[in-house]
Amino acid sequence: RIMPVRWSRYNPSYLEPEAKPESYQKPLEELTEEEREQMELKAVRPIKAAPPNLSSSVFSDPMVSKFTNMMMKSGNKVLARSLMSQTLEAIKRKQLEKYHKAPENEKEAIECNPYVIFHQALKNCQPIIGLSSITRGGKTYQVPVPLTDNRKRFLAMKWLITECRENKHRRTLMPQKLCQELLLAFNNEGPVIKKKHVLHKMAEANRAYAHFRWW
Amino acid sequence: MAAPAYPAWVTRWVSGQWRNKKRPPTLRPTRTLALADKVANRREQPTEATCITEMSVMMACWKQNDFNDAPCAEEIRVFYDCVAKAEKDRKNQNEDFLLSRGNLPSSKVNKLLKRFPQITRYV
Repeated sequence: RIMPVRWSRYNPSYLEPEAKPESYQKPLEELTEEEREQMELKAVRPIKAAPPNLSSSVFSDPMVSKFTNMMMKSGNKVLARSLMSQTLEAIKRKQLEKYHKAPENEKEAIECNPYVIFHQALKNCQPIIGLSSITRGGKTYQVPVPLTDNRKRFLAMKWLITECRENKHRRTLMPQKLCQELLLAFNNEGPVIKKKHVLHKMAEANRAYAHFRWW
Repeated sequence: MAAPAYPAWVTRWVSGQWRNKKRPPTLRPTRTLALADKVANRREQPTEATCITEMSVMMACWKQNDFNDAPCAEEIRVFYDCVAKAEKDRKNQNEDFLLSRGNLPSSKVNKLLKRFPQITRYV
């Protein structure tokens, strides 16, 4: 009987599966020494089973899948994925509308690719430094601290999702609200960017405590 | 005359009991005389916060430009570089404590001692 367990139960000798088709299409002569050794190792060692969210298609984007996972509630991946695709479709529709209405000289400035908009919006929402509570002599101070990339991405996505879930009108659907927020973030406006600025301001106000860090 | 009542230690002393080997034990250990499997926590020199100058430069830039990121891109890039370098330095420093300053940190010593504990009883 297999009990569900938190960490991986694979033997350490198992290797990760490789999903990118480009790495298999290179001819043998072009590979470097390390890549040749890697290929020989893969021929001998066992390989882990591929997880369901790993895909080799050109349309799969790790950022988008992470975002869909964060939007998912109680394991309903079907719903989260459909909401995500509706959001991207809505972004595309709005941008196309703007494109067709714009005069000739402004047409190149309008970005129509929803993936580009999504990535740029997330990048604009990422905070640059964060605050962490450090206790010194009984008092807790909010100390400005540099964040890792993963933490920045997580915070950006979390702020976006909470903003869309809480501050919308009862009748608006999630894709429409998300689309609106993403377009605002793309142009550096909107409540998520404001939240990021508030965090930066607090960090700036507390910059005297920066010496409390020990890392 | 009646026997004079001396305190007990006087009698003992006079009798010479303590001059022979019958002394009370000089050592009365409350715990067993064996080395523990732990070392006390030694406070390493606390390292200073890294990248403060870059951070203050970036914040000054923010104050001038009303917290927009676009005009401050250069300062932000410098800050990120400094943070990455500091992270790498910390990682390297963690691994070569064997080569630098004399003693191991107390956490590593405790891990080793736990693997090879003191034998207190034989079966």
